[in-house]
Amino acid sequence: MSKNMFSRRNFLKLAAATGSASMLAACGGGSGNGGGDAAGKGIGVMLGTNVMSLDTDLATDGDSFEVIADCIDGLMQMDADGAAIPALAEKPDVSDDGCKWTFHLRDAKWSNGTPVTANDFVFAWRRIVQNQGEYAYMMSDIGQIKNAPALAKAIVAGEDADVTTLGVTAVDDKTLEVELEVPVPYFDSLMYFPTFYPINEEFYTSLDDGTYGTSPDTFLSCGAFVLSDYTPGTASLTVTKNEDYWDAANVSLPSINYQVVGSSDNALTAFKSGSLDVVMIGGNQVAAAEEDADLADKLVVTGAGYMWYLTFSQTEKNAQGGMLANKNLRLAFTNAIDREALVDNYVMDGSLATYTAVPPQFAASASTGEDFSADQEKFKDYIGYDVEKAQKYFEDAKKELGVDSFEFTLIFGNNEGDEVTKVAQAIKEQIEANLSGVTLNLQAMTKAERLDKMQEDNYDVALTRWGPDYADPMTYLGMWITNNANNYGFWSNEEYDKIIADCTTGAYVSDYDARWAALYDAETLVMQEAVIAPLYTKANANLINPDVQGIEFHPVALNRVYKNTTVA
Amino acid sequence: MAETAYVPTKEDFELLTGRDITTDKNFASQSYWKGVAIIVTAIILLAIFGPILSPYGYRDIVSYTDEAGKQVVAKGISPQIGHAGDGAFDQYTFLFGTDDLGRDQWTRTWHGARVSLIIAFVTIIIDMIIGMSYGLISGYFGGAVDAVMQRIVEVANSVPRLVIVSVLAIFMPKGMGLVIVALLLTEWIGMSKIARAEMLRIKEQEYVLASRTLGAHSMHIIFKQILPNTIGPIITQVMFSIPTAIFTEAFLSFVGVGIMLPQCSIGSLIENGFNNITTLPYQILPPIIVLALQMLGFNFIGDGFREALAPKLEDM
Amino acid sequence: MKKYILKRVAMSVATLLLIMFVLFVLVRIMPGNPFPSERMNAEQIANKRAELGLDDPVLVQFGRYMAGLAHGDFGKGTSLYYGAPITTVLGTCISNSFRIGGLAILIGTAVGLILGITAALNKGTFIDAFCTVFSILGVCVPGYVFLIFLQYFFSYKIPFFPYFFDSSRFLFSSVLPALSLSLFTMSTVARFTRNEMVEVMDSDYVHLAESKGMYGNMLVTRHILRNALIPIVTVLAPLIVDLLTGALVVEKIYGINGIGKLMVDSIAGEGVDYNYVLALGILYSALYIGIMLVVDILYGLLDPRIRVASSKEGDA
Repeated sequence: MSKNMFSRRNFLKLAAATGSASMLAACGGGSGNGGGDAAGKGIGVMLGTNVMSLDTDLATDGDSFEVIADCIDGLMQMDADGAAIPALAEKPDVSDDGCKWTFHLRDAKWSNGTPVTANDFVFAWRRIVQNQGEYAYMMSDIGQIKNAPALAKAIVAGEDADVTTLGVTAVDDKTLEVELEVPVPYFDSLMYFPTFYPINEEFYTSLDDGTYGTSPDTFLSCGAFVLSDYTPGTASLTVTKNEDYWDAANVSLPSINYQVVGSSDNALTAFKSGSLDVVMIGGNQVAAAEEDADLADKLVVTGAGYMWYLTFSQTEKNAQGGMLANKNLRLAFTNAIDREALVDNYVMDGSLATYTAVPPQFAASASTGEDFSADQEKFKDYIGYDVEKAQKYFEDAKKELGVDSFEFTLIFGNNEGDEVTKVAQAIKEQIEANLSGVTLNLQAMTKAERLDKMQEDNYDVALTRWGPDYADPMTYLGMWITNNANNYGFWSNEEYDKIIADCTTGAYVSDYDARWAALYDAETLVMQEAVIAPLYTKANANLINPDVQGIEFHPVALNRVYKNTTVA
Repeated sequence: MAETAYVPTKEDFELLTGRDITTDKNFASQSYWKGVAIIVTAIILLAIFGPILSPYGYRDIVSYTDEAGKQVVAKGISPQIGHAGDGAFDQYTFLFGTDDLGRDQWTRTWHGARVSLIIAFVTIIIDMIIGMSYGLISGYFGGAVDAVMQRIVEVANSVPRLVIVSVLAIFMPKGMGLVIVALLLTEWIGMSKIARAEMLRIKEQEYVLASRTLGAHSMHIIFKQILPNTIGPIITQVMFSIPTAIFTEAFLSFVGVGIMLPQCSIGSLIENGFNNITTLPYQILPPIIVLALQMLGFNFIGDGFREALAPKLEDM
Repeated sequence: MKKYILKRVAMSVATLLLIMFVLFVLVRIMPGNPFPSERMNAEQIANKRAELGLDDPVLVQFGRYMAGLAHGDFGKGTSLYYGAPITTVLGTCISNSFRIGGLAILIGTAVGLILGITAALNKGTFIDAFCTVFSILGVCVPGYVFLIFLQYFFSYKIPFFPYFFDSSRFLFSSVLPALSLSLFTMSTVARFTRNEMVEVMDSDYVHLAESKGMYGNMLVTRHILRNALIPIVTVLAPLIVDLLTGALVVEKIYGINGIGKLMVDSIAGEGVDYNYVLALGILYSALYIGIMLVVDILYGLLDPRIRVASSKEGDA
């Protein structure tokens, strides 16, 4: 498997392309203003939200994953380009049929001195399957570990299930054997995802129930850093260098002080004051930083992975009796939106206008190295900003439906970032201006309520997002099959379902290039039918103290990795 | 506007109270009243006519399309008067600047002032009527009546507002009506507490005892004899409830209950401006200044009423 | 009096139980999922709900909850800080919010009283006008806007105070948030004190005391202030509850893990966390009911006539 396989386009290029930043590597140190005296001390880093949990079974958000990954290594880790490279495992052996992976563990220690063994993985993985939480599907649907799908079904049905039948075994202390249901070509790149991290069984069982990961005393590290200051719910926490780390010689950062910062404006001032070395800003603060000579060269745009899109409910009970089940009406909508105007004027953080159902820059082909969605114009017949075309589709829709005016409600989360509220208002203005006869009412709600409404199919149009869990187009395309929990529009297409089934467990699993081509066909179907209206792929605009070098940013799994970070 | 504004004169207050306010050493001077009247009239007039006077609608995004076909939006422009210049939007007049979406802040501020004033007044007036009656009755009868009524207040006030509002939102369409109902649910409690405290203080006074002994009806004593004496603190409370109502409306937007976008209110404008407070400080200033001026005006009027209306013992 | 207090306490406990039940039912109607998830399928979510017993009849659930509560077990978070017992998270948040809120109450009440008294004693002068304008601005400018200015000038321009809250330097890093939180209380107390004192100073018994030759501090504290305190205590009580239970935006800006943010996160975060909403609701109710109890007792101490009346009725 080539190393190239999972490399993503370097986001430095993205930064240069949007003209918003020059690279941190290019920044000379000592430009005076900005980052404080970080040398020898460690760095102050902004978190967007509170860390929800340090337990790999319970954590679901990027910030929690980042802190967990600071402290615990997986079998594999991500290199600067996002490819899987050995970490706790020296290297994996794959059987010829691709269904058996053997990992050979190196000598590593937990922070209490006990060695990291294969059993630590077996324990942690069985626990994930047993508890059937948010990311349990990584074991079954994505990882396809032997018996995981059957166990998952049995456990949620309340039947007897023996998790020891899970296809993961500790051959000896240093050898972990994993059996898969079907070949999963990207299985090694799943190993850097925190769900697959180890937990020391002996330590875990010695703790009181429900206290694992709630303080530095109840949490064990085997990664580059150890947790030194943390309580659940805290707005600030600290990790310090792990002297017993197997690769400690290559870690130079003494500590990271995380601070939760609630607003972009406050983040900017915190950076200017020197209290934080790495912050994320958005909206007007990006504009202000670009104009500020001191800050402009410290601005770095990195990919956040999330794609924002509109989903249309196609069922009868919504949208004036299922009006949005009409393909032409959906196509009219998707062609009446000026995505470039949205990202340039309102999102402003370097996010990319997106015209594909799979966002660009996270999934590259293993054989050609080419990004799955590098060509954003490939569906220009079905999606784009073309008012005339939109109106043509709209006229067709009106004829077919026999209705002249439409009134829909667009729901969106008001706690999902300032830019979301702006984008929702801009979409309303664009659609109403370009398609006369459409009224799009805005309804703000919490993200929780938005999800609830979508899951209950009680909405017309929703502004929602999806972030990739792993570096394969399937993380997006898998959502539009019939009855998938994320198929909020209730679109159903037999041809599409068949392609996806062939790509996950059927004919294409062992033929990489054929699978890749089939995924492309599937995406075409989604775009032709305007199942969703992709809007933009989110980026983060970071301000980074030029003294701090070598933070690795990734759009998938772990957003920031500090192992190779240095402070001048 | 100053010329047309109505200025209360001495006679007005004589009608109300029969007191000669010019001899009342504590009462405000004429010129002071003039200032207050100007502020309040100006703000109410602007809230009504401000948006109409502006060439932009409150939801209009000012933009143009450049040669490359890109939409350029007049967002985040600081206050300016139209002038010749190279800038794309130099010829436009934005007295209060523009917001993040490229909408005129002048129009939006007055639109917001209108929305907020309507919400604040409707809630405060209803709250005052409910709260005052509730508090006075509870305090007057005391004993078991008071105990039960006060426990009801405790229950009503104890359930966190966001919980009540999210539950309410299931049964009511979101929008201004829901905001008003949500505010009504809890805002009357402060008023009732004040009224009750005043009642407890006053009801043992001699004139009440005398009335009661003479066989006056309870309701007559409460609303005709005691109520006027409690008006002072109640007016102060009413005045201070206005900004609370305005900010609470903005707070409700956390659970998605609030003014429907793209409408705005003073509270939501302050919140939006707050997101850019150090980068674009002018965005938060207009709504805060408008709110403060409104409040100054209302407070002075309130003070005037308070001192003019509150009967002293010699008036009885 | 003792018997009255005992009876009053018993009633408060009963009210609290009633509130807990009302809250328990309301929380379960709220929109939003206690297990917000985009990756779990319907069966997995149903499984999680069943594990927590959310499908049982409400009364059964309530009984189980109360039984847990008897052992000090508030349960665990489901959409917020999952995994950790609520008491762990709540403990830190309560201690932060209580200490910062307490400081704000002290500053706000002390400065507010001084301002109000000074203004009343110098009625009609520049000091009085200043006090009026100050207290109106104080309620119009949200505390968090004030905090941003303090933070900008005293943590950034002149880096004297820490930029973010630092629990290892508790008092020092509490100064800015406490000051900004105290603004509203300060203004309200100043305004009420001033208005009440002006009213009381105009009353017959003060004139009588004056004519008997009483003056200065003695007159102010023994006669005027004591009488003016009842409405002040009444408005202060709910403010105390509000301050102790934290302020969302101030906590967000200054990086404090406090109750205000916890409350909003538990309702308007990723999902609706039943256990957190309940725990916080119970905390809020208990505080409110407790403070109302203290206020009722204080009324008696402040005005002997109220005490006589209520204890008479209480014993009856």
